[in-house]
Amino acid sequence: MAEVSFRGLQSANRRKTYLLLGGMGALVWVVVYAALTYFGTSTVGIVPIAVGIALISVWGSYYTSDSIVLRMTGAKLLQESDNPNLFNVIHEVVIASGLPMPKVAIVDDLAPNAFATGRDPEHAVIAFTTGILDAMDRDQLQGVVAHEMSHVANRDTLVSAVAATTAGAIALLSDMLTRMMWFSGGRRDDRDNGGNPVALVISLIVLILAPIAAMMLKSAVSRRREALADATAVAFTRNPAGLRSALEVLAADSTVVHQRSTAVAHIWIESPLDGKSVSKLFATHPPIEERIAALRAMESLGPNK
Amino acid sequence: MSTIEIVLLIIAAIGFFVVTLYNRLVRLNVSVDEAFAQIEVQLKRRSDLIPNLVETVKGYASHESATFEKVVSARAKATSATTVADVAAADGMVTQALRGLLAVAEAYPDLKASTNFLALQEELSTTENKVAFARQFYNDNVRSLNTAVKTIPTSLFAGIAKVSARVFYEVEDPQSRQAPTVKF
Repeated sequence: MAEVSFRGLQSANRRKTYLLLGGMGALVWVVVYAALTYFGTSTVGIVPIAVGIALISVWGSYYTSDSIVLRMTGAKLLQESDNPNLFNVIHEVVIASGLPMPKVAIVDDLAPNAFATGRDPEHAVIAFTTGILDAMDRDQLQGVVAHEMSHVANRDTLVSAVAATTAGAIALLSDMLTRMMWFSGGRRDDRDNGGNPVALVISLIVLILAPIAAMMLKSAVSRRREALADATAVAFTRNPAGLRSALEVLAADSTVVHQRSTAVAHIWIESPLDGKSVSKLFATHPPIEERIAALRAMESLGPNK
Repeated sequence: MSTIEIVLLIIAAIGFFVVTLYNRLVRLNVSVDEAFAQIEVQLKRRSDLIPNLVETVKGYASHESATFEKVVSARAKATSATTVADVAAADGMVTQALRGLLAVAEAYPDLKASTNFLALQEELSTTENKVAFARQFYNDNVRSLNTAVKTIPTSLFAGIAKVSARVFYEVEDPQSRQAPTVKF
């Protein structure tokens, strides 16, 4: 890859996000087209139902993400007097990013990790485990804070809500259609087209595989946003070494955050799920070695590149 | 659609386009002002720390008066600066004088171990970081503004919006010029 500067990495990761989200949109159309081929035009009505259910279920949690995630992870809000040094570091990154001051929370957990959430920069929350605050020195902590503030700056709660809505709509559509297949097999004769058997088989395969493809695309979006947050963090601090050595500490640490809910796995700086149990195509984070190597390449460019 | 309607539609589209570009220039210009105000806020914070720091170091190293004077006079000069270039020059002098003061402190183990000094050191290093990030944020904003002022189509409206290119905030600091030249 020719582009190793943070500016190049930022635009490359943004471009890939658009491509992936575009791919998810295209997948919705493929599923709809397959449904029309298999069942005929009478199924058109379920498309808005599936999209509507997905929208409502995801958008509610997106809009109240700050309070929901705090409750799910057991994070408690901090005041400046509770940890002045942490607030000093956060104030620094706030100045570097030009963002409003976020709410700060702490999760009582020995595993070093951190996350950011909130529907927009005005409602942002960044949270740290007690483990990460103990394990990091000042420069490393600054890198971690910058990574979390980058998620806020890049509106990643919104991006993952869009990805989750699309993947959810595809999963619902495919589920509803496969059910229809079992319960209304006899109604197949009101299909519009004559019934090209090859087209029918392809449609069936598409309907079965679409949810898996949607999950993969959603995970790929999450991985791009993590790589983008690393690059944006360097844009804020101009110090790739801080975040790089923080990731090295995380890579060397084997303790894992206690709650392993897959629902909130993507929001942590380091994936709380076991590396082995998640295959590369479904991982929410790029391999940590890859992230360290990208930051190392930025270090070799020197300051202000 | 009649010809008149089409013409009106085109005029409306052009008007919308012009307003967008005009507002973009004004917004960029305002954010440069805000970024500069942020630098001044952080410089003020640092300036307020200096008397306390000097007093603390004096308690342990009273005969290093030349270093103290340098810090105090640099601080005094910084308060009178107003233009970007003057503020940046005064900022550079304070930065260097403070570095000299901390180098002096290195030679006094009792001072370095005192709780008062340790607390001041964290205050000072966070303030130095804030000053540095405020400078960087200002320069990034100036870069966006200057690009908009010099590139088409925004450059066509810079005159009407009364927005022009701004100067970068450049601190004379020998340390920050030592960019590593090694490439892997």
